[in-house]
Amino acid sequence: MSKPEILKTQTLAANKTPGRAIGFTVMSLLIFFAGFWMQRESTSITDAGVLNQAPLAASNYAGFNANQWYLPDDELLGLVEIPAGAFTMGSNPALDGMAYENERWSSSQHQGAVDLPGYFIGRYEVTVDQFNAYLRATATTTESDTSAQPGNFPISNITWAEALAYGRWLEQQLRESSATPQPIREQLRVGAHVTLPSEAEWEKAARGTDARIFPWGSEPTFQFANFGGAAMAPVGSKSCPSCAHGLADMSGNVWELTRSPLQDYPYDAADDLANLAADPIYAMRGGSYAESSNNVRAAIRGGVDPGVRSPTIGFRVVLSVL
Amino acid sequence: MSIAAQNKSPASGPGWSLLATSTPLGNFLLPLLLTLALLALSFTARIQQSETLVWSFRAAVAALLGWLLVQFLIARQRHEVRGFSFLLRPQHYIQAMVQLSVYSYWGYYWRPVYDHATLILAQLIFAYVFDILLAWSRRRDYTLGFGPLPIICSINLFLWFRDDWFYMQFLMIALGFMGKEYVRWQRDGRSVHIFNPSAFALGLISLVLLLTNTSHLTWGQEIASTLTLAPNIYTYLFLVGLVVMYFFSITLVSGFSALTLFGLGAIYSAISGVPYFLDSEIPAAVFLGLHLLVTDPSTSPRTPLGKIIFGMLYGIGVFALYKILGMFGVPTFYDKLLCVPLLNLSVIAIDRIVSSINSKTLVNVGHSSWLGGRLNLVHMSVWIVLFATMTLLSKTDGRHTGDSLVFWQDACAGNLPNACGRLLQLERTYCGDNAAWACNELGLNYREGNLVAADAEQSYRFLSQACELKFQAACANLLEPELMARAEPLELDLRLMLREGGLNLLQMPLPDLYARACDHGWSYACTDNRNQL
Repeated sequence: MSKPEILKTQTLAANKTPGRAIGFTVMSLLIFFAGFWMQRESTSITDAGVLNQAPLAASNYAGFNANQWYLPDDELLGLVEIPAGAFTMGSNPALDGMAYENERWSSSQHQGAVDLPGYFIGRYEVTVDQFNAYLRATATTTESDTSAQPGNFPISNITWAEALAYGRWLEQQLRESSATPQPIREQLRVGAHVTLPSEAEWEKAARGTDARIFPWGSEPTFQFANFGGAAMAPVGSKSCPSCAHGLADMSGNVWELTRSPLQDYPYDAADDLANLAADPIYAMRGGSYAESSNNVRAAIRGGVDPGVRSPTIGFRVVLSVL
Repeated sequence: MSIAAQNKSPASGPGWSLLATSTPLGNFLLPLLLTLALLALSFTARIQQSETLVWSFRAAVAALLGWLLVQFLIARQRHEVRGFSFLLRPQHYIQAMVQLSVYSYWGYYWRPVYDHATLILAQLIFAYVFDILLAWSRRRDYTLGFGPLPIICSINLFLWFRDDWFYMQFLMIALGFMGKEYVRWQRDGRSVHIFNPSAFALGLISLVLLLTNTSHLTWGQEIASTLTLAPNIYTYLFLVGLVVMYFFSITLVSGFSALTLFGLGAIYSAISGVPYFLDSEIPAAVFLGLHLLVTDPSTSPRTPLGKIIFGMLYGIGVFALYKILGMFGVPTFYDKLLCVPLLNLSVIAIDRIVSSINSKTLVNVGHSSWLGGRLNLVHMSVWIVLFATMTLLSKTDGRHTGDSLVFWQDACAGNLPNACGRLLQLERTYCGDNAAWACNELGLNYREGNLVAADAEQSYRFLSQACELKFQAACANLLEPELMARAEPLELDLRLMLREGGLNLLQMPLPDLYARACDHGWSYACTDNRNQL
């Protein structure tokens, strides 16, 4: 439209249609308001998103250090060294009447010897506080209600992938922190990762090198483990000085995820990538508070879909050269 | 709205003066009752689902009641009468019926449309009251008819705000009516609105959404991509489009828009070796737009040549905007919305160009004395033949080259233009549908950094999703940061990724599924074993 036409239009409008200037102004203001408001909403969504993702503030339980990602307050941040060497894996029904078929080493052999390099494993299962620290730091969301249990309980209802993500984050913190203890720093330097234990790492840590049926010996007892009950307990609440390597809750409390696909024995970590087209089922070990004694043995093998959440499944981490 | 009023001489209905004199509120009773109806709607289960939605309704009601009160007091003080005239225009009710039929068909296959019905009703009530008050504020009688209906239906065919931002939907409607009222020019000696009201509102809000990067506050992307869930949607839109074409002679605009888009797409495809639009020759939402959004006779040229130019410009505009928006990495579904207001602005220039052509034959192209009033039928016949040809060439409904992921993988490997971007886009879409294979591929793309900038966090996120969807290779990739494990799609992945823009294939028998996968280029699915499952 040419200038004279516009002027003519405006003049006509001014003469014949009262309030046009006001209306036009209001309309323009509404457009600016829409732009401003949408920009503001956009920003507030981002901010609120972060806030909503942050779980409740963690409380500080005795024995855990809030300044060290709520890890155990000891020299190695709750990690225990498992020396290199061989151990006996699987079950011998002649010695363990509760053994399941999937614990048998091969058609000709009940148990097998597996040699592992040295590694570190968590004394306790990963706690609610520790996992929440990760969620807060990374503004990560989870479908799990991570405020449902006290901070010193084992985290549960998380998926296999979430457990791995926690390990990945913790490794990054340990690499970046100047307070990381020297032995851990050295392991990281030589290529170790914080991740889930393999089945072999888990079993060796649980039963030691003397082929125990339970972490503390050959007979079940409620003294050292939380099983056959109705509820989980704070990590380490059943101390077990007689357990192999002094680890807590290797029997019961929550099932513990591993990074090994659940496959028939004989165990060989090199098989882990053998069948990528198969349904992924990952081994979990140790049983939970809800299991009977036969399912909390050191050799017990369960399997879980990597997307499953369960109140009876949690994890602990290892620091290991994969 | 696409068909606006052309007849400006309202006829008074016999009942309205009676209404005016029989109640103390006079004609204010109708908008008051409508506003109360809007308030009543806020108590329905659909609105109560969201607190923001409830407050959006109540704020709208409060604003309307306040404006109503002001108008009432002004009218009483000045002893003026705020009145109605009554006029039913076929442009409004035929258009609205066509739009409602599209909602019915589309909603049958995508249920959020039916869930949205209460909100459309609320917008309609809001629009009537707003339009009435706007007319009265201008000391003019309100022409009561179906005018707001096609505007609301048209807006909602292209953009809805999500519940938590629904107040913006009311604002968008208000802008549409204000644009119609205040943004006007002289055309053929009459003061007429420049912009198609719905396209004005959609265009403005689209611009705001783009500039503020807040498209996710709307259902725009879902709306644009779910039309094809309805089987044979192109044929359906073509058929209902014929109704509008028959009554309102818009064939030249729609036909030349389609022809231009089809032609440009064919040229691009011939040169580059890949389709221009991702999964169709003309996206279904654009096909809808060229029938029901751009065809308002009062905001488009009147001569046949002008309509042809207008239609072609729409085609070119959509074609160009799709590319431009894609280049900026913003949602491309705005392509059909942003160019309409610009085209509306070009109408006088088009009229002037056409009138400067010193050839009556050219200006009235296709006109012939013996055809008389049947000219539009001739245009429609040509359009029917054109559409039938496009359908026979599989360019409308049915399988499209770009539906195949394998095609895009090969095209990307061959460095064909845009192919890698399209591959990523498809992988994102299917990963969003929970196809594990697509999530694993996306995760590896972000790990590799070839098709997209390497991003360890994004990679981990997609691999985690794939792993949780039971894709073993993705779980292995999570465990080993250097691994690039791939595997063939799972059966469920195929059911999601072979849908060709339609509904998923959860009920399809396995042999048919693998035959389809083979047809899409998945060679592993072509073995005899697979087909004999």
